[in-house]
Amino acid sequence: MKIQKFKTLPSTNQKAKELAKKGAKPWLVVVAEKQTSGYGKEKVPWFSPKGGLYFSIILPKSKIEDLQTLTILAAFIVAKTIKRNFPLEPLIKLPNDVLIGKKKVAGVLTENIIGKDVKLSVIGIGLNTNVEKFSEELEDMATSLKIELGREVMVNNEKILKKIVKELKEQLKTISE
Amino acid sequence: MLAWSMKTKIKIGEKVYRVEISEIKENLIKVRMDDKDYFFTKNNLGELIPVDARTKDFGVLVEEGEVLWETLAEKEIRSPIAGIISSINVKPGKALKPGQKVATLIAMKMENEIISEISGIIKEIKIKENQSVDAGEVLIVLE
Repeated sequence: MKIQKFKTLPSTNQKAKELAKKGAKPWLVVVAEKQTSGYGKEKVPWFSPKGGLYFSIILPKSKIEDLQTLTILAAFIVAKTIKRNFPLEPLIKLPNDVLIGKKKVAGVLTENIIGKDVKLSVIGIGLNTNVEKFSEELEDMATSLKIELGREVMVNNEKILKKIVKELKEQLKTISE
Repeated sequence: MLAWSMKTKIKIGEKVYRVEISEIKENLIKVRMDDKDYFFTKNNLGELIPVDARTKDFGVLVEEGEVLWETLAEKEIRSPIAGIISSINVKPGKALKPGQKVATLIAMKMENEIISEISGIIKEIKIKENQSVDAGEVLIVLE
């Protein structure tokens, strides 16, 4: 698995798109320890301090319907990864978010560049692993694994990332064949 | 798949006709004048002769009313998918290059940057922000 690591990025999705335009191969993973302008759907900011897991994957050229399915599957895979590794009960808010209780713990954003057909696609995932706390405006809407567990997440971010990417790869194979 | 096409207008008397010429199959040229289609093929001497493409003799079948507008419209940018326009990145009168972003479309909960694959000067922007569009709908008209 090819992973490009950054200390800080404005946005991993932006970086992945930039690299894909320059010819980076599918399945390259771009990860940042923190994002300064992380965003979700319709450019709604995604609070991305150090401690969380923020990464994007350059996807192979796929049909738009498959990309939509993959977005849903990504949320499902993130929820499953949380459930398997921690004593927590995540829920999926279709198609993009993973919640614990009523608060967002992870989000998925697929971005495509389309001319007459799909030119390139990236999928970005933000998972609040060891995020200490959220601002007052966010604390009713967002949570982290650390907050929910009441302790530090012992599994490191990279290990979680690898599990998610591996499953996504397998899933895309299933839906696009 | 179209090999090539061109679009023009001719004026006969006071009436202006829209004319589109396209190669819809190897050795089969279609001329559409307003809404009527005429077909031509090359004979052994290389001359263009009119044919009825709907006859079995010719060996091809062109459905009645088959619309080829999307592939003919080289000066239009159409929405590749249905969705809602969340932002427009171009202005009328400005030049547009292939690869340039023209709009963002939210579709199927994904963010889609719509790029141009053609170049030209923007004549008309047919969409507004927050408008929903269908697949194939014209977004931008170029001169």
